[in-house]
Amino acid sequence: MIELDDIDGLAAEYVLGTLPLDERDAVKARLPRDAALRRAVSDWERRLTPLADSLRPIAPPPNLYSKVRAQIGLSSHVISLKSREQHLVRRGNRWRNFSAGMTAMAASLAGLIGYNAMQPPLMPTQFVAVLQSAEDKPAFLLTVDTKTQNCVITAVTAPKQANKSYQVWMIADKLPKPKSLGVLAEGEMNVMPMAGASDADNAMFMNANFAVSLEPEGGSPSDGPTGPVLFQGKLIQATP
Amino acid sequence: MPPTRTQLDGLIAGVAKGDEASFAELYQATSSKLFAVALRILRNREAAEEVLQEAYFKVWERAGDFNPALASPLTWMAAIVRNRSLDEVRRKVPKSSGDDEMILDGLAGDNEHPLDGLERQEDVGRLMRCLEGLEPEKQQIVRLAYLDGLSREELAARFSRPEGTIKTWLHRSLAQLKGCLEQ
Repeated sequence: MIELDDIDGLAAEYVLGTLPLDERDAVKARLPRDAALRRAVSDWERRLTPLADSLRPIAPPPNLYSKVRAQIGLSSHVISLKSREQHLVRRGNRWRNFSAGMTAMAASLAGLIGYNAMQPPLMPTQFVAVLQSAEDKPAFLLTVDTKTQNCVITAVTAPKQANKSYQVWMIADKLPKPKSLGVLAEGEMNVMPMAGASDADNAMFMNANFAVSLEPEGGSPSDGPTGPVLFQGKLIQATP
Repeated sequence: MPPTRTQLDGLIAGVAKGDEASFAELYQATSSKLFAVALRILRNREAAEEVLQEAYFKVWERAGDFNPALASPLTWMAAIVRNRSLDEVRRKVPKSSGDDEMILDGLAGDNEHPLDGLERQEDVGRLMRCLEGLEPEKQQIVRLAYLDGLSREELAARFSRPEGTIKTWLHRSLAQLKGCLEQ
C-alpha cells in the first residue's frame, strides 16, 4: 500500500478541496516559497483534472464574454495608458470636475474605446461614461458613437439581482424628470436615444448625467425611477 | 470536435502576446467546460458566472506565466476556476433551489460525459478506471470532494463518520489513485 508523505498528502487534499479553511489558506501562503509543494500541487492538478473534464459542458450566458472583454479592456489599459491619462488630466478645467479615480478609470476606458474602434479616430465621435457607485469599481459602461447615433450600455460588474431589473436613466437640467433609456434585460443593450434628435437635444445628451436604478423586474412601474440609484456617471470624449 | 492539447497551447501562447482573437477562441473552446466545473461546486448561477468572469480575466493577465511543460492549458485553467469556486463556496454562497435539482441529477452520474474531454481521452479513461478500483463509498467521496466541492466536515456529515475517519479515507484513496495512475 502506497502512503502519501506529508507534502504529497497536503497537496492532494489542497487540490481535492477538502482542507479546512485555515489549512487551505496556509497552503496558499506557502506555495510561492515552497517549490516541492508547488510541484506536488501541480502533479495532483494534472492527475485529477480529467475528472473535471468528464463533466458535461454547460454554456455560460452569451453576455458573459462581453463582460470579460470589458474587464480586460479596463485592466490592460490602466497600465498602458498612464501617459494618456496624464495628458488628459493636463488638458485642463474640463477634467477637474471629475474625481481623480473617475478620471483615471474613464481615461483608461477612453483608451480602450479608441483602441477598439480602429477607424481613424480623429473626429471626436466616440464617447464613454463609466457608471459606478461612489467608490466602487465600474458597474456599467455606456458608450456612444455620435456618428452612428448608437449607444451601447454594458453591465461590467453589476451583480444580477433576483426579481429586479436595472433601468438606465438620463438626467439633465432641461428635462423635468429623469428620462428612461431602457431596462437592461441581458448584460448588454443597444439604444439609439439620439436618433432624429435636434442639435440642442444632442448637446443635452452629451452633458447629461446617466444613472442606473434598481427596479422591480421589467422596469419601473411609473414614469420615473422608483428604486435606489446605484450607479451614475457622465460622458467623456473617448477619442483624443 | 474538442480542440487538441496543441491547439490550446497555441491559443494560450497567443493570449500571452495579447492577441484578442486567440483569447476569443480559447474562451469559445473552454468556457462551457469551465462553467460546468464552477456551477457544480457553487450550485448558484450568478456566483458561477462571476467566478468564470474573474477566471478568464486571470487567464488573460497570467497567460504569460503559463508553462506548457508543467501543465496542460485545461489543467491550468480548471485549477484557477476550482480554486476560486472553492474559496467562494467556503464563504457559504446560498445555493439556489433550482440548481440543486440539477446537482442531484449530476450525482446520479447524468452530468458526467467522459467522451467529451478536452484533455486526451486516454487521460480521462485512465483516471476513471483507477477511480473504479476504489471501494464505491471511497470513490463517491473523492468525486463529491473534487467535483462538488464538499468539505471534510460536509463529507463527515453525509457519511455519518468522524472527520478524522474521512481524512484517513481520503488519504488512502488518493494514495491508491496515485499508485494506479503511475502504473
